[in-house]
Amino acid sequence: MKDHIETTTAWVCDKCDKALVSQKVKVRYLEGNFEVDLLKCPECNMVFIGEDLALGKILEVEKSLEDK
Amino acid sequence: MDLDKLLEIGNQCIHSEPPVCVASCPVHMDVIAFVHEIEKGNFAGAYKIMEQKIPFSRLIGKICDHPCETLCVRKGVGGSIRISELEKTVIDLGYTIPKKPLLLPKNKGNIAIIGGGLSGCVAAVELNKKGYKVTIYEKTDRIGGSLWEYEGKGLETAVIKEELLVIEKKGISICYNTEVLEENLYSYRGKYDALYLGAGEWSKAYRINPETFQVENSSLFIGGKIQSHNHSVIMSLSSGKRAAVSIDRYITKTSMLASREREGIFETKLTYKIDNVKPIDVVVKSSHNYSENEAKDEASRCLKCQCDACIKACVHMQRYNITPDRYIRSICHNERIVLGNRTANTMINSCTECGLCKEVCPIGIGMADIIHATRESMVERGKMPLSAHDFALKDMQYSQSDYFSLVRKQPSKEASKNLFYYPVIAFSAYARGLYKGSGKTGYLFYPGCQLSSTHADYIGDIYKHLVGVIKDKDADNDVGLYLGCCGAPADWAGRFDLMPESVQKIHKTWEEMGEPTFILACSSCASTFEKYLPMIKTLSLWEVFDTYGLPEVDIKKGKRELCIHDACATRHNSALHESVRSIVKTLGYSIHELEYSKEKAKCCGYGGLVSCANPEQAEDFVKDRISESEADVLVYCAMCKDAIVKGNKRAYHILDIIYGNEINQDSPQKMPTLSERQNNRKHLKQRLLKEIWGEEVMNTENIYNFTLHISEDVFAILEKRFILVSDIEKVIDNAITKKERFFNPQTLHYLARLRLQNVTYWVKYAEEGTDIFIKDVYSHRMEVVEG
Repeated sequence: MKDHIETTTAWVCDKCDKALVSQKVKVRYLEGNFEVDLLKCPECNMVFIGEDLALGKILEVEKSLEDK
Repeated sequence: MDLDKLLEIGNQCIHSEPPVCVASCPVHMDVIAFVHEIEKGNFAGAYKIMEQKIPFSRLIGKICDHPCETLCVRKGVGGSIRISELEKTVIDLGYTIPKKPLLLPKNKGNIAIIGGGLSGCVAAVELNKKGYKVTIYEKTDRIGGSLWEYEGKGLETAVIKEELLVIEKKGISICYNTEVLEENLYSYRGKYDALYLGAGEWSKAYRINPETFQVENSSLFIGGKIQSHNHSVIMSLSSGKRAAVSIDRYITKTSMLASREREGIFETKLTYKIDNVKPIDVVVKSSHNYSENEAKDEASRCLKCQCDACIKACVHMQRYNITPDRYIRSICHNERIVLGNRTANTMINSCTECGLCKEVCPIGIGMADIIHATRESMVERGKMPLSAHDFALKDMQYSQSDYFSLVRKQPSKEASKNLFYYPVIAFSAYARGLYKGSGKTGYLFYPGCQLSSTHADYIGDIYKHLVGVIKDKDADNDVGLYLGCCGAPADWAGRFDLMPESVQKIHKTWEEMGEPTFILACSSCASTFEKYLPMIKTLSLWEVFDTYGLPEVDIKKGKRELCIHDACATRHNSALHESVRSIVKTLGYSIHELEYSKEKAKCCGYGGLVSCANPEQAEDFVKDRISESEADVLVYCAMCKDAIVKGNKRAYHILDIIYGNEINQDSPQKMPTLSERQNNRKHLKQRLLKEIWGEEVMNTENIYNFTLHISEDVFAILEKRFILVSDIEKVIDNAITKKERFFNPQTLHYLARLRLQNVTYWVKYAEEGTDIFIKDVYSHRMEVVEG
């Protein structure tokens, strides 16, 4: 899931007013557990997932896990 | 699931059965591929196909006695394809000098061929190819035997000589002028590992096994005229080939009989229907042989006999380019796989389970039940992709919840007495029906969840009409109302685990209500009831309309023509088909019957939850269906209307024409969105309770202090991604109250997320006071662990 993940963005955390940073984040679906670099708020840890990522790589991984 | 049993079914599929010409050819030349090449003008390619099965094809093709032509399916519709004539032209135009043979070591054994006639030469060449050292014993000074009878009568001397020269070039030894007789045969048997006797005539009558050409269990094999007792060139050739196979098996000590059932002439299971075949006469030769163009024309008459009835009828099989035999093998592979991807999952979830394949299959193989069992097995083993049916199952849950579910007896005389004071209603059939209330529910109107989603406005009127007309004729039996979902989505999704809950609820209601007859308006409900609730007597709403009379509507003769798209779930209900047609005619329309109608109805693409699991495949179904006719479509299933209108074809539900709501021909038709469909169900329940039973319903709607603005473009995205407005509302509410959102200082947009059950929804929006303008929505199932 490493490809095509943004490392900088104009989006900021609205609650904490912090710029987002790229950090290792745990994601899971069905039997799959991964650690990937994603943008998140350094303060409240809210993770940012853009449309391209959600409908691209994430969807692809979801589908392949469903077919496992 | 019993996969072995399933494979047996797959093996019955005759898609891969050869045409009768190939089956009746003793060496099984691939006639279809042969004529294909000719049609393309590739005569060298066609010659290659002959060579694959016919040794000495340059000679045999000119003199073959072509048993194939006698049985050709074209025979009765213009005359058999002249395969023998085509072969002659192919040799003339496509013969290519063979490559020099590779001389491989011949160390598998020593074979003697007695008699250098046609069958002997063939056996020699075949055994040589298999790696044996072969010696031919010929009593005369030349080999070829009966081939020479055709010298100057179809075969040129030079060509015969040239072709026979191949034998020596391959390294086969020939002993000319060496006559072997019965008396000294024994000495040869001692010297060689096996003997092939193809001498044409012989003094002793041996008992020859007709399958293996072997004499008892000995090393002696006999073919050609001695065995066949006829002069057929191609039979002689075939016996030489088959005996060579036997000799090889004999020497390598493998089974003499295994997998040889279809050697030589056999009966194919393929039956090709010629009902719709236009006769085309045999192409006449303008000279001695067919010219190039004549051959192409003659080849194009070939029907390429193959059973493809199911593929022709089904866009699902077309999309995956698959036939039941291969489909079943794919399913078995998908079921058995332990590690790796189950690549057939999407395909299995793209069948509408409509049952058309079984209708058109000459041997009655139906994929619907197989697919259904497969989906159940996938669910049972936890291998069903979650995303395939998740939305539909959640929507079903909604229908079965208190938002929509409702059971009511007909309002009693007492409860509705107020109505009778209003003069307009007092004399209506409905009020008269209420007045006759008996307290015993004889009928229960069950409109189903989809009709209530897309045609909610009709439900109340239908109910009142039913009370009026039924009570008028059958005063003892009241008409109740039951809103709910039968569980068809769970059935389609293979969720056998969810069925008891749906079905038992209906069964319990039925018992509590005194076992009334259900009046069903949805074809999928009808099949679910038939399958899971056979004890409940059901009638279709259309049969009731046809029997008890239609609501009072404007009936004029000479209205336009409509084509009827029958609901696939009703394909075996001919009474229902007739009721629908009778109603349409009564209303003054004429009917255009589609090629695929009634028991051969094609699915609109909604069946089997295909529109949920594979929207592109669902689109194929709609496109295919609407291309059948120019006329507007009449349907009697709410899902069919939804699918067809979304496919940009004007469609009317039968209720639209009954209630005179055929809208303006020029205005585009629009179906409710997924969110509207849920709201329609909820509001229908509230409306009916209030209007008919006088019950006020507490509004359970969430009240938010913001207003959503969703453009048409964004709505289209919502539909495509199966996202509801209510999901968006929850995300926004959470974003505003908890400030859990991102902000983009450049665009001034917010982006918020919220996980609802097993899906995370993301909404991008602009906020202007309490007005929320939705810019984008998307979702994912992957769970992100924050913190």
